[in-house]
Amino acid sequence: MDGDASVLPLINVVFLLLVFFMVAGRLSDGDPFEVAPPESRTEGPAPAAPMRVLLAADGRLALDGEVMEREALLAAVAARLEAEPEAELRVKADGAAEGAALAALVADLAAAGAREARLVTMAPRR
Amino acid sequence: MASDVPVRPAREGRRRRRAAIALTPLIDVVFILLVFFMLASRFLDERSLTLSAAGGGGGGMEGAMLLEVRAEGLRLSGEALTPEALAARLETRIAERPETRVILQAGEGVDVQRTVAAIDLAARAGVARLALAP
Repeated sequence: MDGDASVLPLINVVFLLLVFFMVAGRLSDGDPFEVAPPESRTEGPAPAAPMRVLLAADGRLALDGEVMEREALLAAVAARLEAEPEAELRVKADGAAEGAALAALVADLAAAGAREARLVTMAPRR
Repeated sequence: MASDVPVRPAREGRRRRRAAIALTPLIDVVFILLVFFMLASRFLDERSLTLSAAGGGGGGMEGAMLLEVRAEGLRLSGEALTPEALAARLETRIAERPETRVILQAGEGVDVQRTVAAIDLAARAGVARLALAP
Protein backbone atom coordinates (compact mmCIF):
# COMPACT_ATOMS: atom_id res chain seq x y z
CA MET A 1 0.00 0.00 0.00
CA ASP A 2 2.74 2.44 0.97
CA GLY A 3 4.81 1.55 -2.07
CA ASP A 4 1.86 2.16 -4.39
CA ALA A 5 1.00 5.50 -2.84
CA SER A 6 4.53 6.84 -3.27
CA VAL A 7 4.62 5.90 -6.95
CA LEU A 8 1.42 7.77 -7.82
CA PRO A 9 2.94 11.31 -7.84
CA LEU A 10 5.70 10.02 -10.10
CA ILE A 11 3.15 8.63 -12.52
CA ASN A 12 1.25 11.90 -12.43
CA VAL A 13 4.33 13.87 -13.36
CA VAL A 14 5.34 11.43 -16.08
CA PHE A 15 1.84 11.53 -17.57
CA LEU A 16 1.93 15.33 -17.59
CA LEU A 17 5.31 15.27 -19.35
CA LEU A 18 3.95 12.76 -21.84
CA VAL A 19 0.90 14.89 -22.60
CA PHE A 20 3.11 17.98 -22.91
CA PHE A 21 5.41 16.36 -25.45
CA MET A 22 2.51 14.89 -27.40
CA VAL A 23 0.71 18.23 -27.64
CA ALA A 24 3.62 20.66 -27.94
CA GLY A 25 5.89 18.72 -30.24
CA ARG A 26 5.44 17.88 -33.85
CA LEU A 27 6.66 14.59 -35.19
CA SER A 28 9.62 15.21 -37.41
CA ASP A 29 10.02 13.59 -40.76
CA GLY A 30 13.71 13.04 -41.20
CA ASP A 31 15.44 14.87 -44.02
CA PRO A 32 18.09 13.01 -46.05
CA PHE A 33 20.48 15.94 -45.60
CA GLU A 34 20.78 18.92 -43.31
CA VAL A 35 18.57 21.83 -44.35
CA ALA A 36 18.36 24.95 -42.19
CA PRO A 37 15.47 27.11 -43.42
CA PRO A 38 15.98 30.88 -43.65
CA GLU A 39 14.53 33.16 -41.02
CA SER A 40 11.62 35.39 -41.93
CA ARG A 41 9.42 37.92 -40.18
CA THR A 42 6.49 37.23 -42.46
CA GLU A 43 3.98 35.06 -40.64
CA GLY A 44 2.44 32.41 -42.82
CA PRO A 45 0.80 29.20 -41.69
CA ALA A 46 3.09 26.29 -40.94
CA PRO A 47 3.17 24.39 -44.22
CA ALA A 48 1.66 20.92 -44.37
CA ALA A 49 1.82 20.34 -48.10
CA PRO A 50 1.89 16.82 -49.48
CA MET A 51 5.01 17.32 -51.59
CA ARG A 52 8.24 18.41 -50.00
CA VAL A 53 11.13 19.56 -52.13
CA LEU A 54 14.42 20.04 -50.33
CA LEU A 55 17.26 22.22 -51.54
CA ALA A 56 20.55 21.83 -49.70
CA ALA A 57 23.20 24.51 -49.36
CA ASP A 58 25.34 22.73 -51.96
CA GLY A 59 22.48 22.47 -54.45
CA ARG A 60 21.46 18.85 -53.85
CA LEU A 61 17.75 18.19 -54.26
CA ALA A 62 15.34 15.76 -52.65
CA LEU A 63 11.64 15.02 -53.00
CA ASP A 64 9.78 13.57 -50.01
CA GLY A 65 12.97 12.44 -48.34
CA GLU A 66 14.57 10.88 -51.41
CA VAL A 67 17.66 12.42 -52.92
CA MET A 68 17.08 12.93 -56.64
CA GLU A 69 18.58 14.46 -59.69
CA ARG A 70 16.93 17.59 -61.03
CA GLU A 71 15.29 15.97 -64.07
CA ALA A 72 13.94 13.02 -62.08
CA LEU A 73 12.55 15.36 -59.44
CA LEU A 74 10.80 17.59 -61.96
CA ALA A 75 9.36 14.55 -63.72
CA ALA A 76 8.08 13.15 -60.42
CA VAL A 77 6.52 16.50 -59.48
CA ALA A 78 4.88 16.79 -62.89
CA ALA A 79 3.48 13.26 -62.56
CA ARG A 80 2.10 13.98 -59.09
CA LEU A 81 0.50 17.22 -60.26
CA GLU A 82 -1.02 15.40 -63.21
CA ALA A 83 -2.74 13.03 -60.77
CA GLU A 84 -3.82 15.71 -58.27
CA PRO A 85 -3.64 19.19 -59.80
CA GLU A 86 -4.47 20.96 -56.53
CA ALA A 87 -1.58 19.40 -54.61
CA GLU A 88 0.47 22.03 -52.87
CA LEU A 89 4.22 22.09 -52.98
CA ARG A 90 6.46 22.97 -50.12
CA VAL A 91 10.05 24.00 -50.72
CA LYS A 92 12.49 23.76 -47.88
CA ALA A 93 15.65 25.52 -48.94
CA ASP A 94 18.77 25.98 -46.87
CA GLY A 95 19.37 29.57 -45.85
CA ALA A 96 22.91 29.34 -47.23
CA ALA A 97 21.89 28.04 -50.66
CA GLU A 98 22.20 30.34 -53.65
CA GLY A 99 19.22 32.64 -54.11
CA ALA A 100 19.50 32.20 -57.87
CA ALA A 101 19.35 28.40 -57.41
CA LEU A 102 16.09 28.80 -55.48
CA ALA A 103 14.67 31.07 -58.18
CA ALA A 104 15.68 28.57 -60.87
CA LEU A 105 14.09 25.75 -58.87
CA VAL A 106 10.83 27.68 -58.46
CA ALA A 107 10.82 28.47 -62.18
CA ASP A 108 11.41 24.81 -63.05
CA LEU A 109 8.66 23.70 -60.67
CA ALA A 110 6.33 26.25 -62.25
CA ALA A 111 7.19 24.80 -65.64
CA ALA A 112 6.37 21.35 -64.24
CA GLY A 113 2.90 22.61 -63.33
CA ALA A 114 3.20 23.94 -59.78
CA ARG A 115 1.70 27.40 -59.92
CA GLU A 116 2.82 28.25 -56.43
CA ALA A 117 5.24 26.87 -53.94
CA ARG A 118 5.42 27.54 -50.24
CA LEU A 119 8.87 28.26 -48.91
CA VAL A 120 9.50 26.98 -45.41
CA THR A 121 10.94 29.63 -43.10
CA MET A 122 11.55 29.95 -39.41
CA ALA A 123 10.72 32.67 -36.93
CA PRO A 124 13.73 34.92 -36.36
CA ARG A 125 15.76 34.12 -33.29
CA ARG A 126 15.84 36.95 -30.82
CA MET B 1 -20.93 -3.82 17.30
CA ALA B 2 -22.74 -5.46 14.48
CA SER B 3 -21.85 -2.71 12.05
CA ASP B 4 -18.09 -3.34 12.48
CA VAL B 5 -18.30 -6.79 10.98
CA PRO B 6 -19.30 -5.99 7.36
CA VAL B 7 -17.03 -2.90 7.04
CA ARG B 8 -13.73 -4.62 7.70
CA PRO B 9 -13.89 -7.20 4.88
CA ALA B 10 -14.99 -4.56 2.39
CA ARG B 11 -11.98 -2.37 3.14
CA GLU B 12 -9.60 -5.28 2.93
CA GLY B 13 -11.14 -6.33 -0.36
CA ARG B 14 -10.54 -2.87 -1.84
CA ARG B 15 -6.96 -2.95 -0.64
CA ARG B 16 -6.39 -6.31 -2.18
CA ARG B 17 -7.79 -5.21 -5.54
CA ARG B 18 -5.53 -2.12 -5.54
CA ALA B 19 -2.51 -4.28 -4.98
CA ALA B 20 -3.55 -6.62 -7.77
CA ILE B 21 -3.03 -3.91 -10.41
CA ALA B 22 0.71 -3.86 -10.87
CA LEU B 23 1.93 -0.35 -11.57
CA THR B 24 5.42 -1.22 -12.76
CA PRO B 25 4.46 -2.34 -16.31
CA LEU B 26 2.27 0.75 -16.66
CA ILE B 27 5.15 2.99 -15.68
CA ASP B 28 7.43 1.14 -18.09
CA VAL B 29 5.08 1.74 -20.98
CA VAL B 30 4.49 5.37 -20.08
CA PHE B 31 8.23 5.98 -19.80
CA ILE B 32 8.84 4.42 -23.18
CA LEU B 33 6.10 6.60 -24.71
CA LEU B 34 7.60 9.64 -23.01
CA VAL B 35 11.07 8.93 -24.34
CA PHE B 36 9.64 8.32 -27.82
CA PHE B 37 7.81 11.64 -27.92
CA MET B 38 10.81 13.48 -26.47
CA LEU B 39 13.10 12.13 -29.16
CA ALA B 40 10.69 12.25 -32.09
CA SER B 41 9.16 15.69 -31.67
CA ARG B 42 10.69 18.96 -32.56
CA PHE B 43 9.79 22.43 -31.49
CA LEU B 44 10.90 24.56 -34.42
CA ASP B 45 8.55 27.41 -35.20
CA GLU B 46 8.06 26.84 -38.90
CA ARG B 47 6.34 29.35 -41.13
CA SER B 48 5.94 29.68 -44.84
CA LEU B 49 6.10 32.18 -47.66
CA THR B 50 4.32 31.86 -50.94
CA LEU B 51 6.67 31.92 -53.90
CA SER B 52 5.65 32.27 -57.49
CA ALA B 53 7.79 32.28 -60.56
CA ALA B 54 7.92 35.31 -62.83
CA GLY B 55 6.46 34.89 -66.29
CA GLY B 56 4.20 32.09 -65.14
CA GLY B 57 1.01 33.58 -66.48
CA GLY B 58 0.54 35.92 -63.55
CA GLY B 59 -0.08 38.97 -65.71
CA GLY B 60 2.27 40.94 -67.88
CA MET B 61 5.53 42.54 -66.94
CA GLU B 62 3.98 45.91 -67.63
CA GLY B 63 4.37 48.31 -64.75
CA ALA B 64 6.30 45.71 -62.78
CA MET B 65 9.22 46.82 -60.67
CA LEU B 66 12.49 44.94 -60.67
CA LEU B 67 13.98 44.39 -57.25
CA GLU B 68 17.52 43.12 -57.54
CA VAL B 69 19.31 41.57 -54.61
CA ARG B 70 23.02 41.80 -55.28
CA ALA B 71 25.99 40.93 -53.18
CA GLU B 72 26.74 44.65 -52.73
CA GLY B 73 23.20 45.73 -51.94
CA LEU B 74 19.63 46.16 -53.10
CA ARG B 75 18.54 47.81 -56.33
CA LEU B 76 15.06 48.87 -57.31
CA SER B 77 14.56 49.36 -61.02
CA GLY B 78 18.30 49.65 -61.48
CA GLU B 79 18.83 52.18 -58.73
CA ALA B 80 20.95 51.26 -55.71
CA LEU B 81 19.03 52.07 -52.52
CA THR B 82 19.30 51.43 -48.82
CA PRO B 83 16.69 49.00 -47.47
CA GLU B 84 14.82 51.86 -45.74
CA ALA B 85 14.71 54.03 -48.86
CA LEU B 86 13.67 51.03 -50.92
CA ALA B 87 10.83 50.18 -48.55
CA ALA B 88 9.63 53.80 -48.62
CA ARG B 89 9.78 53.83 -52.43
CA LEU B 90 7.81 50.60 -52.61
CA GLU B 91 5.23 51.89 -50.14
CA THR B 92 4.51 55.04 -52.14
CA ARG B 93 4.25 52.97 -55.30
CA ILE B 94 1.87 50.50 -53.66
CA ALA B 95 -0.22 53.36 -52.31
CA GLU B 96 -0.61 54.68 -55.85
CA ARG B 97 -1.11 51.35 -57.57
CA PRO B 98 -1.87 48.49 -55.17
CA GLU B 99 -1.68 45.88 -57.91
CA THR B 100 1.97 46.61 -58.76
CA ARG B 101 3.97 43.48 -59.43
CA VAL B 102 7.46 43.19 -58.06
CA ILE B 103 9.94 40.91 -59.76
CA LEU B 104 12.70 39.81 -57.47
CA GLN B 105 16.01 38.75 -58.89
CA ALA B 106 18.79 37.29 -56.79
CA GLY B 107 22.26 38.01 -58.09
CA GLU B 108 25.41 35.98 -57.83
CA GLY B 109 26.72 35.31 -54.35
CA VAL B 110 23.37 36.08 -52.71
CA ASP B 111 22.09 33.33 -50.45
CA VAL B 112 18.51 32.31 -49.74
CA GLN B 113 18.55 34.06 -46.37
CA ARG B 114 19.19 37.45 -47.99
CA THR B 115 16.63 36.74 -50.68
CA VAL B 116 14.05 35.97 -48.01
CA ALA B 117 15.02 39.16 -46.15
CA ALA B 118 14.27 41.10 -49.34
CA ILE B 119 10.94 39.28 -49.71
CA ASP B 120 10.13 40.25 -46.11
CA LEU B 121 11.01 43.85 -46.85
CA ALA B 122 8.70 43.92 -49.85
CA ALA B 123 5.93 42.15 -47.96
CA ARG B 124 6.10 44.68 -45.14
CA ALA B 125 5.95 47.49 -47.69
CA GLY B 126 2.62 46.05 -48.80
CA VAL B 127 3.62 44.22 -51.97
CA ALA B 128 1.03 41.53 -52.58
CA ARG B 129 2.25 40.25 -55.92
CA LEU B 130 5.85 39.23 -55.84
CA ALA B 131 7.51 36.86 -58.24
CA LEU B 132 10.95 35.32 -58.37
CA ALA B 133 12.88 35.66 -61.59
CA PRO B 134 15.56 33.08 -62.31
